[in-house]
Amino acid sequence: MVTELLSPLNIIIIALGAGFLLPLIHARSPRFAGQVMFASLLYFVIISAYHFYTLIGGAPAVEIITAGIQPPFAINLRFGLAEAFVLLAVNTAALFGARYMFDELREHASAMILFIVWIMGINGMVMTRDLFNLFIFVEITAVSSFVLVAMRANSIALSAGFKYVIAGTMASGFLLLGTMLLYYQTGTLNIDDLIIHQEMITGPFGTAALMLVLGAILVELKPFPANGWGLDVYQAAPAGIAALLSVGVSAAYLFALYKILPLLTSFLPVIAATGLLTFVASNFIGLRQSDPRRLLGYSSVGQLGLMVTALALLTKFSLTEYIPLVVGGLFISHFLAKAGLFWLAGIIKGSELGDWSQLRSKPVLIIAFLFLITALAGLPPFPTFWAKWQLVMSLMEYQQHGWVFFILLGSLLEVVYLFRWFGKAVSSQSDKALDISSSGNRQWLPVVLFVGLLLACGQVMASSFDLPVMALLPVYAGLLLMLIDGLGERLKQIASLLVIIAYSVYLIPSLDGLNWIFGLMLLPGSILILIASTYQQGTARPGFYPLFVMLVLSLGTLLAAETMLGFFLAWELMTVSSYLLVSLGKKATRPSLVYLVFSIAGAFLILFAFALIYAQTGSMQLSAIGQAGIVSNWPFILLLSGFFIKMGGLGVHVWLPDAYAECDDDFTAMMSSVVSKAGVFGLFVVGTQMTAQLNDMDTILTVVGWVGLIMALAGAIMAAMSEDIKHLLAYSSIGQLGYIVTTFAIANHTGWVAAMYLAVNHLLYKGLIFLAIAGVLYRVKTRYMYQMGGLIKNMPISFISVLIGIITISGVPPLLGFGGKWLLYNALLERGWYLQAGLAFFASAVAFLYLFKLIHTIFLGQRKSEHEHVKEAPLALLIPQITFMVLIMAFSMFPNILIQPLSDAVAPFMASTFTWEGYLLITENGYWNGFLVMNIVGVLFMAPAILLWLVSKKMKVQKVKQFNIVFAAERPFTPATTHYAYNFYAFYDKAIGFLTRPDATRFWNGVSEWGHTVGASLRRFYTGNGQTYAGLILFYIGVMYLAVRTL
Amino acid sequence: MNWALSIFYYIVTVLVVLVYGLLLYAFIAKTMARVQGRIGIPIYQPFLDIIQTYGRRTAVTHGYMFDLGPVFRLTGGLGTLAFIPVIYGSEIFGNFHFAGDLLLVMYFIFFGQLGMALGAGESGHPYAPMGIARGLAQMTAFEVPFALAVIAVFMQYETASITEIVAAQQGSIYNWTLFTNPFAVLAAMFAFLGMSMYPPFDLVTAPNEIPIGPPTEYHSAYLSLLQTNRAIFAGAKLVLFMNLFFGGATNLPIMVLKTWAIYMIPVLIGVAFPRFKVENSIRFFLGVPTLVGIIAVLYMQYWGTV
Amino acid sequence: MFEFNLPLANIVLVTGFLLILSGLWAMFIHKNIIRMIIGFSLMDTGIHMIMVALGYITGGTAPIFDDAVDGMQMVDPVPSALVLTAIVIGLGVTAVMLSYAVKIHQAKNSLSIDDCAEQKW
Repeated sequence: MVTELLSPLNIIIIALGAGFLLPLIHARSPRFAGQVMFASLLYFVIISAYHFYTLIGGAPAVEIITAGIQPPFAINLRFGLAEAFVLLAVNTAALFGARYMFDELREHASAMILFIVWIMGINGMVMTRDLFNLFIFVEITAVSSFVLVAMRANSIALSAGFKYVIAGTMASGFLLLGTMLLYYQTGTLNIDDLIIHQEMITGPFGTAALMLVLGAILVELKPFPANGWGLDVYQAAPAGIAALLSVGVSAAYLFALYKILPLLTSFLPVIAATGLLTFVASNFIGLRQSDPRRLLGYSSVGQLGLMVTALALLTKFSLTEYIPLVVGGLFISHFLAKAGLFWLAGIIKGSELGDWSQLRSKPVLIIAFLFLITALAGLPPFPTFWAKWQLVMSLMEYQQHGWVFFILLGSLLEVVYLFRWFGKAVSSQSDKALDISSSGNRQWLPVVLFVGLLLACGQVMASSFDLPVMALLPVYAGLLLMLIDGLGERLKQIASLLVIIAYSVYLIPSLDGLNWIFGLMLLPGSILILIASTYQQGTARPGFYPLFVMLVLSLGTLLAAETMLGFFLAWELMTVSSYLLVSLGKKATRPSLVYLVFSIAGAFLILFAFALIYAQTGSMQLSAIGQAGIVSNWPFILLLSGFFIKMGGLGVHVWLPDAYAECDDDFTAMMSSVVSKAGVFGLFVVGTQMTAQLNDMDTILTVVGWVGLIMALAGAIMAAMSEDIKHLLAYSSIGQLGYIVTTFAIANHTGWVAAMYLAVNHLLYKGLIFLAIAGVLYRVKTRYMYQMGGLIKNMPISFISVLIGIITISGVPPLLGFGGKWLLYNALLERGWYLQAGLAFFASAVAFLYLFKLIHTIFLGQRKSEHEHVKEAPLALLIPQITFMVLIMAFSMFPNILIQPLSDAVAPFMASTFTWEGYLLITENGYWNGFLVMNIVGVLFMAPAILLWLVSKKMKVQKVKQFNIVFAAERPFTPATTHYAYNFYAFYDKAIGFLTRPDATRFWNGVSEWGHTVGASLRRFYTGNGQTYAGLILFYIGVMYLAVRTL
Repeated sequence: MNWALSIFYYIVTVLVVLVYGLLLYAFIAKTMARVQGRIGIPIYQPFLDIIQTYGRRTAVTHGYMFDLGPVFRLTGGLGTLAFIPVIYGSEIFGNFHFAGDLLLVMYFIFFGQLGMALGAGESGHPYAPMGIARGLAQMTAFEVPFALAVIAVFMQYETASITEIVAAQQGSIYNWTLFTNPFAVLAAMFAFLGMSMYPPFDLVTAPNEIPIGPPTEYHSAYLSLLQTNRAIFAGAKLVLFMNLFFGGATNLPIMVLKTWAIYMIPVLIGVAFPRFKVENSIRFFLGVPTLVGIIAVLYMQYWGTV
Repeated sequence: MFEFNLPLANIVLVTGFLLILSGLWAMFIHKNIIRMIIGFSLMDTGIHMIMVALGYITGGTAPIFDDAVDGMQMVDPVPSALVLTAIVIGLGVTAVMLSYAVKIHQAKNSLSIDDCAEQKW
């Protein structure tokens, strides 16, 4: 009984029945008619859900036989797992879609009928196993779409609708023709029968027949360039209709393609190529798009292209067991996200990307928007991420580099425009207000629900991979904290601290070797920086704590990762969360986007390398990196480049200064001191796995070594020329990371210890200085150093922080920094990189320029009169600073407590060349007793200090006011103007300023320009003319046919 | 090692170097005066100056960093000296060279300069940062040939220990780095011109532009510390050059003779040249001297060790 | 493959293809929406004719099973059945297109496809 009630055939019966009844009911009670419609749609959902449930439990596919005759002599329908999955999704979307646009539907009984019949058509297309029957359902769906698109009968919708009609009728004409030709050759219309007898489809005639059927279905999937009509429809149709067109109708065609694909073995490369072309081209064009609805159109079209490609390629390489994971994952992401976005689009007034800022008035929606965008962009934890991972891995196994390259290129472009859109939504101000009161929750609640489904699907897909339980912990911790994001700042801070501390206590003991050291660096470093987070009293920081926790936990999972997937997942999570944190800055929209794009590009390089490694070794473990290295250097180079981008390496550093400068001041400390270490960790992951091969990589390592030092020099010079305090420190970070890159490339014991030592060093002093600077910026409200001066009187502790910081950076003994320099030169000399050592000297000398400029122009010299009453930095900032200082002092006093563990951690990979005699460290070339130096300097410092004190005891020392100087033989009238600060090293600029030309920035601007130009040229196809579009369809099918014949 | 004894020896060294440094200063001043046709100061004038400034009864301070500036400066001088063995093989003049090698000395040189720069910065006088900016900029440039020279020396002796470098030069005058590694010495001497702040590289204190430069606001006891340091620091630097390039010294008279000779080089060049502009000075050091330094390194790499 | 010994079916077949081509041609060269719709109708009719022609067997009998009839000589009944469905669907589509024409004329006071190009790029 239950089985009969829930027979999938009932979907069609009920829809047709409702179609007849609705006008009758509507005439009496429009309200009841609506209820009937909802009941029918709900019934569809129940049927598909029930079967999905039983099928997933292992039940056989439901075969529906009509007219009591077995196929192929009668039409048969099938309701298998795949069908159930797609239809459950479609029918659910239809139910919510109907609710979403109920205001419009309830006006006319015909609208309701059309809607139900429309959904029935989709169901039929998915279920049927008969080619002619497919044609009928295609036509049913198409005719209902034609009408629904133009439901509002406005001019634009009518234009778009008519173009759609032309394209749709052409496509279905071809489908019919093709079907008949196939029937002529084979005598059957049953798809399964056709597949069995496909050898009967022969010759150019058979190819043409197949081409017509395929062409018809592909055209409906909107391939580039034959898709102008589709874009117009997405843009012009009512949002609810566009949503279902994009996800429901397209799903049906995709499924139709999936069904007939076994007939098309020789077509597969061409199908894949057309899909990929569409994916890449639409994403290029998306770069230029400013209307969100049309942008969604491009995104839809692109996603469909990718699904077609994945489907075709997986079939081609007989990887059909991955189709559910890859195509299913891509599909469900696209499905849920696109539906949600189109629904949101319907709520928002205006047709500019910036109008989406209206969502900010309802936080849950802006968060939902973010999640939808993230899901589309293929970032974790959403289904696309897993799908793309599997797709790339599978394709690479068959050496399909070209396909993978273009898939990743398209994905990168997608990230650009999607997150630019998000950036505009969070940064711009719309003059229109969001109005969702009239429709209650039925327009936005489904969006939130779909976000939840996306997360759930992501989790389900994650479980099909071999991942540790904790792999997605960062996401859940972040979500959990997001729930309490409305509470007080202090409370959230404490909660976040507790989470991170608990996580550290759990994680760090489970790590060993270098990972353990990185754990000890990154997690406590984050805790210290988080302590500072409440320094801006009375300022709410929505989103900060959840994202911060997510970032820290993803860093932790990165350290704990054992598989390439685990590593990549954590890497991406870290990228996303840090991007979002950067974007919280007031003017961070563009910088954060640039940061994201570079990070994702870097991540794709890593992904590509992992795929290569997997293809060579068949292993997903990180340890496979070493085995793969035997075969080729490419994985090594790619991985290095990926990590290099994250560290802001020279040439790819252009994201860094602005991202550092524009994010929240205390978060800059996190970015510089902690997050950049992820790149260093990446280097070491590769390095430690490939120790055996490093000896044979002399050329690569030499190049990397030089690049690192040039980076150090360029960073230092650019820092010296900066007027913006945060730019200065950002460039300084680039420079300091340059040394780490070089010491890593030295690849001997001293070198690696130096790299680790420098990393610890950098963490400590950059955390210290950035926090001190955060305090200064909080008090003086300007980032330009020449607008400051003389603040030592107001902010003595901050001054001391910066002082300790710059002494440490400069490498002057006796503080910690000298150890780094000493190890650096020892390593360079040991390796025989003599000229490089000279360059390192130069770079570290230039560092003095910016360090002095930094401390002088802010704290010394003449104070501005408006800063007379500036107070010391808030306590929240001082506590971590003091902790950092204590750590620096402790490590300076006892360098061995730092170097010894580093040396031990490196020793398993690089045999130790150190000899210890108490505190005395002896290398092959030199020796250094840090403890003794510290003591000697300490004692020596006391001597003149006591001397001065003694002398000054007997004389009268008068403390004078700030302006008590004699300048050009008189007391200056406005002494503040005598603060020498602007263009501090003008002569340096004259001498070697040509080294600071922003060539890299210009280059990447050129690349961006080029991308936009490509987009602009590609979209020349879309003239808006219906006949052109029709012509393109013919052209497209013609070219496809020729391509198939030639190949 | 007897700590009390080594501290005592160190104090002796400091005093000797101090006296020597002051005398040298007076001698050079007198030499220059004679070249310019003046009589010049009496040889004991620096001693009078230093006593006079220590004896001042009033002082003006601009803040605690201002106070600490000269302290840092003198510590820098004392420390640099402390890590260099002044006389080879001498227990008295050996100092604390066992605490660290050449790299330590090269970086410790910056210690005093940095502290002094900060102290002068707090004075609020614009000449101070101007002078410092010039000095730092020039320093970055002459540091390049100097570093290359030191690297070449390192390559030659395969150690960064100053004592061992001196040891390797003993025996004959032809064992001096000057003859075994001439390019390195040439590059280093170029750098030495920059370090010595005589024309044409006297940018930091440039009279008639930024008179006195960084220490403009320093006076009385502060100035006395600076004067003390000038003598000690100059001595330490000369000794370093002597050790690295000119065979070191096994006794005091040799030390005096050699360092005096080394010091005369910038002095003699200085009396004959006008001042460079800052940017020209930077370009100069990054030009020929750097090239010589690179040649020195390449020379050592490909021919030196045969 | 075609064997051109079936004149009637061939005539219908060739006419059908010609109709498709002329229908497409009409859809491409005429700016007027009504004319484009006529083009579509021509194309649709062409397809229907091809359908019928493909199932026809010269000298064939009606597709009614009978002991006396050789199954191979029957005209294939399936295309004839399908073409009926296709004609009905074609009618529906034509109706939709015509109502579009009416609405477009109401909205824009023009029937030119060139006036339907508001959206581009």
